[in-house]
Amino acid sequence: MKKFYFSALLFLLLALALGMSSRPSPKVHIKKFKNGHYQLRVNNKPYIIKGVCYNPIPLGQNHEYDWWSDPNKPWEIDGRLMKEMGVNTIRLYQVHDNSDEVKKVIHDLYEKYGIRTILGSWLGFWEYPCPFYGDKNFQERIRKEVLDMVRLYKNEPGILMWVLGNENNYSCLGHVNPWSSEEIDQEPDPQKQKAMRAKVYYTFVNDIAREIHQIDYDHPVALGNGELVGLEFAKEYAPDVDLVACIIYRGKTFGNLFKSLKATFDKPIFISEFGADCYDAYLKKEDQNMQAFFLESQWRQIYENLAGNKEGAGNCIGGAMFEWADEWWKHNQDNPDAWALHDTESNWSNGSYYFDIKVDGNKNMNEEWFGIVALSQDLEQGINPRTNGDAKSDNGSVGVGVNKRVPRKAYYVIREFWKKPNLNIKRNKK
Amino acid sequence: MRRFLIIFLAVVCFFPSVYAKDIKELEEDYRAALSRYQKLKYLEEANSWDEYFSKGNDYRNEITGKAGKVSLSAAKDDPLRVYSRLLLYCFHKDQQDTFTEDALSDLMSSVLDYAKLSKNIIPIKEAADKLLVYGEKSKAKELYKIYAKGLALSDIKNEALKEVADGFYKNNNLELAENIYDIYIEKISNKMPKEKFIIELKSIAAAFAYKDSGSNDLAYAESIFKMIENAGGTDVFDQELIYLRGFNLEKDKEYLRAKDVYLLLLQKYPESKYADELTYKAGIIFTYALSDLKAGREYFDKLVDKESIIPYSLASLYQLGLFKQWEGDLTTAKGYYKKLIEKSEGNLTDTLAMAKDRLKESEEGAAMEHNLKVFMDVSLKKASADFDMSKVDLRSSIYNPKPGEEASIKSSVYLASSGCFNVELQYLWSGNLGDIKPDTKQPEFKALYKNQGTKMIGLVLVSPSGITDYTFDLIDVR
Repeated sequence: MKKFYFSALLFLLLALALGMSSRPSPKVHIKKFKNGHYQLRVNNKPYIIKGVCYNPIPLGQNHEYDWWSDPNKPWEIDGRLMKEMGVNTIRLYQVHDNSDEVKKVIHDLYEKYGIRTILGSWLGFWEYPCPFYGDKNFQERIRKEVLDMVRLYKNEPGILMWVLGNENNYSCLGHVNPWSSEEIDQEPDPQKQKAMRAKVYYTFVNDIAREIHQIDYDHPVALGNGELVGLEFAKEYAPDVDLVACIIYRGKTFGNLFKSLKATFDKPIFISEFGADCYDAYLKKEDQNMQAFFLESQWRQIYENLAGNKEGAGNCIGGAMFEWADEWWKHNQDNPDAWALHDTESNWSNGSYYFDIKVDGNKNMNEEWFGIVALSQDLEQGINPRTNGDAKSDNGSVGVGVNKRVPRKAYYVIREFWKKPNLNIKRNKK
Repeated sequence: MRRFLIIFLAVVCFFPSVYAKDIKELEEDYRAALSRYQKLKYLEEANSWDEYFSKGNDYRNEITGKAGKVSLSAAKDDPLRVYSRLLLYCFHKDQQDTFTEDALSDLMSSVLDYAKLSKNIIPIKEAADKLLVYGEKSKAKELYKIYAKGLALSDIKNEALKEVADGFYKNNNLELAENIYDIYIEKISNKMPKEKFIIELKSIAAAFAYKDSGSNDLAYAESIFKMIENAGGTDVFDQELIYLRGFNLEKDKEYLRAKDVYLLLLQKYPESKYADELTYKAGIIFTYALSDLKAGREYFDKLVDKESIIPYSLASLYQLGLFKQWEGDLTTAKGYYKKLIEKSEGNLTDTLAMAKDRLKESEEGAAMEHNLKVFMDVSLKKASADFDMSKVDLRSSIYNPKPGEEASIKSSVYLASSGCFNVELQYLWSGNLGDIKPDTKQPEFKALYKNQGTKMIGLVLVSPSGITDYTFDLIDVR
């Protein structure tokens, strides 16, 4: 009898061990190598995110436009073009309320073009009057929204990962969408106030990341962050995120970003927003070469810092260019008439984009001109949505539909780069 | 034996030609890499994009391949080793890529090796010049030091060494000029009589101290002033030199140290031609930099009873009126303003106009002009230790304009990054702004003053989270 029990126990242990070892790796996961490099793997194969930020707002509409339910399916036109270029991932900042429509977009892009989707959440950053990260009710509402999103879409085969927040960390410094709490208000030292806000915010993100891991085994969770600002706090309060998704606008490349991150918060990095506009604010004309020049240089550095390159930091897993198509509503957001105009005015300055920085007031970043493809008033499928079928577009076509996509120079330059990435690696090393 | 002879002859005859060939090959490789580098730069500058995108990768490969080969193959005492590494550094720096740091450290180590083995110091200077252009100030300084030491080790005489330093100063290469002056000072410090040595130091300090045109390095000037003090104590400072030192510190926004120097001048030379100006400035610094209203008031009090109509007397009356108005004692405030108006007899209209505005507010019981009130609240109450004048700076294109001469006032803000968010900042300008009332969105403006005297400009910076910092600047219309 004793022998029987012993055999049964042995059998049970063996079955358990086999069961455990047969648990498959997550569909999407990040592998850390012995040399400290990180690699994103999808179905156990290396995956470089060759991504674009995607928000296909037609001319004459603003961010409230429901493109998800557009019967002309702009993502199908875009998906085809993206596939031809080599794009394998889109990044969506926030999902739509109608989950069937969201699933349709994710499904179509993946099944037809092999393009995966990164889903994000603003974490209530754009709520008015401000995001109350110090308020438990606010936190609970946002947490529920995010977890609902994960539950709804985690089984979609096209999902790649989740990104929590975007540049929300800047609010901790108090200059953008400032928020506070009673406890923070009582602290007289502004530096300590910033640290307290960072603790509240990153702890909140970490709690959500932990809960996502419990719900969804298969997809990594990224902390969206503007630059590396505040990541010294994230190291302490958000250790459970799988990677950071940073928004970086440093011009030609990313400087010492990758090495700095390794020193500050050793996590893999996905450059979740970067790029260049194609309008020369100084010469007051479109300059597609300028945009292509910056983007090619930026991609070169992303590749230099992928896993396996001894010279680089090895912590980059790819990037998503901002953005796939121009958005004509962005400059003059309060005036619907301006949404159908391609504004050439700029409202922010960045000296790293040096070609046109000499413009008066140094405002050289043209928000409506970041598209890899331009939007034409001509019609892709014969029809224009903003006119509701009763007005003519510039080429005389009438009706509802999708603005024609006109690939810019960057489209072709990056397509060629992806085919044959060329890095500035020193040769003839001893 | 015969075999040995053959080998010996082969080595003797063949090896130099191989060596010469190698050197020539390295030179050719370096030149090829340099020409590709220049071509790539040209293509970018000339917007020759078709060639840039079609050939750029090939050119980049040639640069890193050929210059990389030279950098490893050239001997340590061969300038090509330095030049090829300098080229690689410039290339990676231009590309702003991951390899820039390594390229810089390779360059530095090759220059250090080279400096030990070669007497030709020109490549060291060229590397330093380039590093300075690329903003690597401390590394450039390090190499300039080596260059300057190399220069000093040569047979060059002290006078010639100074001439070399003067030359670099005139060419606005201040980093190198300072390094050579330092070596010159070290060389003459023990050989020259003390009096003559101090005269030499004074001339160097004066060259680097603040002036409206020409080359300045205010911090370096102060370091020379300190050397003068160490060599001869404060007694060797005449009033002109004390004034120069204080003014230099003031322009460097070292207000507290400037105040100490000004007080020294007032103590040593109470009848100095600078006495009124410095008494007024001491009052301003005590009040607005140190938030010591009581001390500030004492200095302004010293000036108000001066018989003649001097700008500092009127400006002090204005300040005293301002304090009272800010404290809510409108009766006393009005008294000061009226006295100022009466004393001015319609002259010195810059101050007069401001006094009339304040008097009107006081008589009508209206609030003090908003920007001015905020400036006084921030600088005098210092509710937050964070208001330390570090996040916003003010600079004027000139600090000694003549009446009617334009001065461009520009603010610089040092805030943490906010990515692609445009942080809406407000600039609350106050004080003596000439005839201009800059808008709260204006980070700069041009001022024009009609009368002589010290003009104070105040600025409070406001971000969406509230008041961020403050600062002030002083302009002396002469």
